[in-house]
Amino acid sequence: MINMRRNVIRKIVGGLSLTSAMFVFQACYGTPQDFGLDLLIEGQVKSKATGLPIKGIKVSVADNMQYELTDEEGMFSFYTEMLEGLKLQFQDIDSTQNGLYANKDTVLTDLSKKMYLDIVLEEK
Amino acid sequence: MFSSIKKYSFRKFRDSETKRHELNYLFWECTTRCNLNCLHCGSDCSKDSSHQDMPAEDFFHAIDTIKEISQNFTVVFTGGEPLLRKDLELCGKELRKRGFKWSIVTNGHLYDKQRHISLLNAGLGALTISLDGTNKSHNWLRNNEKSFDKVINAIELASSSNRINFDIVTCVNQKNINELEQIKELLISKNVKAWRLFTIIPIGRASHNPDLTLTNNQFVQLMDFIVECRKSKEIDVKFSCEGYVGKYEPLVRDSYFFCRAGINIGSILIDGSISACPNIDRTFSQGNIYTDNFYSVWENKFQPFRDRKWTKLGQCESCKDFKDCQGNGFHNWHGDKKNVLVCHNEKIEKTTKCQHRV
Repeated sequence: MINMRRNVIRKIVGGLSLTSAMFVFQACYGTPQDFGLDLLIEGQVKSKATGLPIKGIKVSVADNMQYELTDEEGMFSFYTEMLEGLKLQFQDIDSTQNGLYANKDTVLTDLSKKMYLDIVLEEK
Repeated sequence: MFSSIKKYSFRKFRDSETKRHELNYLFWECTTRCNLNCLHCGSDCSKDSSHQDMPAEDFFHAIDTIKEISQNFTVVFTGGEPLLRKDLELCGKELRKRGFKWSIVTNGHLYDKQRHISLLNAGLGALTISLDGTNKSHNWLRNNEKSFDKVINAIELASSSNRINFDIVTCVNQKNINELEQIKELLISKNVKAWRLFTIIPIGRASHNPDLTLTNNQFVQLMDFIVECRKSKEIDVKFSCEGYVGKYEPLVRDSYFFCRAGINIGSILIDGSISACPNIDRTFSQGNIYTDNFYSVWENKFQPFRDRKWTKLGQCESCKDFKDCQGNGFHNWHGDKKNVLVCHNEKIEKTTKCQHRV
């Protein structure tokens, strides 16, 4: 309650001086503020035929240079920009090493700050 | 009258923020190693630093003492050159797990496509890159003939990402003061949205090089340039919060001058010292993470930062602007601390007086 009151007073006093950067500042040798407009995407890629995790699958964000390769457990985890209709692409880029799988695209809807995906790829 | 109300309100706001001293912004001097040997370096960094990089677990042990995390709390990796740390991404992910945001200040030399992707993947949200002139003047200051090309590459990568809130900083000096318009055009062509200009404080290596310091006239030239740029709004140009600039307040920034060192800005330095901005005289350290509880130091110490009356010394003692300036940026108190190192407002007033005489 006290904190809430302090915050209101702070905003009134700050607002009276009519400057726009009262609560968003940067140190003279520091960076701008991060507005946190991203989400964490994590998940696992498995083979449809065997149910086993697949290593080395390229998980990328469409129209964006970001990507990550799945690890030994088929796991991936990265942050990316929060965008409506975010499209992820799963590509087998290591030819027959770790098996040969068909590519898959997934469009994410109902985005939240943290998402977990179970992805199944079919053998070619 | 209206201007007086604004100023009065801002002073009240500043006082209440000081009393509240919410930690919003934490520098981590994660390394003092550097891949460049810049002429102006305030920290006297070198390729082979005498300090080992701070182990990440020591840093996390310190910040895990923070009891109340403010909404916009950010950890800013600084150095040295933070990209020399191979575990930067791991540290970034650890911070995000704790709900903290993080950002880096870089000279851009190692910022290539692969590193850009891995930093984004690890949740990097903000970035500052240094560009100190056109090709020749930048490479002169950075003391490296490849630096300009590498920085431009870094800027293009940063510009390509909508996720990162980034800006460019330029140290204005004798060699680039007349290139500012060219630099602005270059940045606009690279789709840069924000550009911050600052001058070089004569500390570290910079204290031995007169080419780095602007004359009073040149300083006013810089202020006028920023004012004009802010009118045209082609790019968000501002003067850094390094000092109080009298009649140019708040024309050259989004807000009036307010040095938040030790009020909202803290740091953990390479040897574990707890302080505010890393360029502040190290004798102002308030404790050490290896012997003290970080958050307790933040909450209970920092008196010289939160009550600046002690800076009413030397030329500040009788200054009519003291209540707005409060001894200028805290990093301007070095050595014997008997006088402020740089008075930005004095530069402006002296130039204005000369202009009136002419």
